[in-house]
Amino acid sequence: MSRVPFGALLRSEWTKLRSVQATWWCTGLYLLVVGAAGWLAAASTDGAAQADIAVQTALTGFGVGQLLLVVLGVLAVTTEFASGQVLVSLTAVPRRTRLLVAKTVVVAAWCVLLSAVLVVVCALAARTLTAVPGGVRPTDPAVLRTLGLQVAAAGLVGVLSVALGAVLRSTAGSTGAGVALTFVLPPAFALAGGEIASRVSQGLPALRVGQDAFLAVGTPWPVGMAILGAWAAVVWVGGAVLLERRDV
Amino acid sequence: MIELVGLTKAYRTRVAVDDLTVTVEPGRVTGFLGPNGSGKTTTMRCVLGLTRPTSGTARVLGRPYRELARPMRRVGALIDPRARHPGRTAHAHLLALAQSNALPPRRVDHVIEMVGLESVAHERVRGFSLGMGQRLGIAAALLGDPDVLLLDEPVNGLDPEGIRWVRELLRDLADEGRTVLVSSHLMSEMEDTADHLVVLGRGRLLADVPMADLLGAHSAVRVRSPQAPLLASALRRAGGIVELQLDGSLRVEGLDVPRVGDVAFEAGVRLHELTRVTASLEAAYLALTGDDVEYRAVAP
Repeated sequence: MSRVPFGALLRSEWTKLRSVQATWWCTGLYLLVVGAAGWLAAASTDGAAQADIAVQTALTGFGVGQLLLVVLGVLAVTTEFASGQVLVSLTAVPRRTRLLVAKTVVVAAWCVLLSAVLVVVCALAARTLTAVPGGVRPTDPAVLRTLGLQVAAAGLVGVLSVALGAVLRSTAGSTGAGVALTFVLPPAFALAGGEIASRVSQGLPALRVGQDAFLAVGTPWPVGMAILGAWAAVVWVGGAVLLERRDV
Repeated sequence: MIELVGLTKAYRTRVAVDDLTVTVEPGRVTGFLGPNGSGKTTTMRCVLGLTRPTSGTARVLGRPYRELARPMRRVGALIDPRARHPGRTAHAHLLALAQSNALPPRRVDHVIEMVGLESVAHERVRGFSLGMGQRLGIAAALLGDPDVLLLDEPVNGLDPEGIRWVRELLRDLADEGRTVLVSSHLMSEMEDTADHLVVLGRGRLLADVPMADLLGAHSAVRVRSPQAPLLASALRRAGGIVELQLDGSLRVEGLDVPRVGDVAFEAGVRLHELTRVTASLEAAYLALTGDDVEYRAVAP
């Protein structure tokens, strides 16, 4: 008999994600926090020299809001271990890496979808509330890049969170590690000052990617994306290897 | 069919399963017995690929479990009735499982009906009793209409009606030619359900026998006669081991019922009772596992 099509696994993981309340709490709060912060930031900024700077300002809420994606991604994995659900899940899908890929794709896709809606809301806020010479045009490449970068970063935060859950298995440990890596440590090292500390700050997967680094030390955006992507990839591979090797 | 060859699982401080070689055949209910901590659950987890054996192999339908393409269509398992996300409804739990093996969604409603959980299908499983949890676990095991069933303590927490239901279900599944392996520590339950027994003690195989053989090995004949002393000596001459019971009857081992009747006839002894006494599974089991109980209460 042929293998189960990957689409079936994706449907299964989507059913799991949508059928628990935590997902909807995180989703609702994420939309609320980032959307409201975007409008507030845009409304309190009278004007900006360039459209992408106005948009960047409106995206400020992502700096905190993505913590909800960290929680969502971590819980998608750790509640399976906490409840014993993982016994049933791995009996149904004994190819463990395949299961982790499906879960990661579903969580990352949900993060991307929500963030895509939010960047449109935030861009509209900037366009409506912030005075920019020439206005905020949706076809401006600089604006599009800023928005796209944020959506991609949110997807990678989802991947990193699922991966942390797979490595650490405990909700408290994984959430703590996720918040520390993305939110607490980058500004902490930035504040510590000094050459080494600021390098470390840049090397951590901060939630805001690029020059406007939300209290952390800024980097050019390609570097920031590469760092976040590398963290997500390395931790994810570690999670897959550990999932394959360890008993449950 | 489940084949275990030299299956061993050692943890840092103890050996949970020790060189276990057993074949579980289709078409009959195989009872998996053993005291707490004797390795039943570890064995089942090894079969399902959840736990990696230290050495030896476990195969289901000729292949390692992890290599089955659509495992739920081949093997149904109940490992732990509490192993599920408490915030999910019974229906969503089963739907996610069905989707993961590309099973048609109508199977979900079908198994919910089979186990009698229709009225609570859309409630979160957090509020389920142990018995409802067992029914949901059995529903999950049946979802793919599998050839092989592994059920770890499925009647634990069920009411008498539920126990009878499980017993009949296992019987039907085995009669359809499926392989059914069911663990329990409730001997009386096994006596009514299983055709074959695999008994573990401290991770080692103690017995792999048909139920009837195990019970037969511990059975005897009770015979009552107004001329008991005469009958007793005649039976002893015929090779029986005879014991006078408190109620005046004789307990005879080593001779079957027709032989005891013949001996009495030849000796010209009148009989008032002649019965085959079957040992309870409980007694047979205790005789087997007596030395292998891992956790024993010690009188102070």
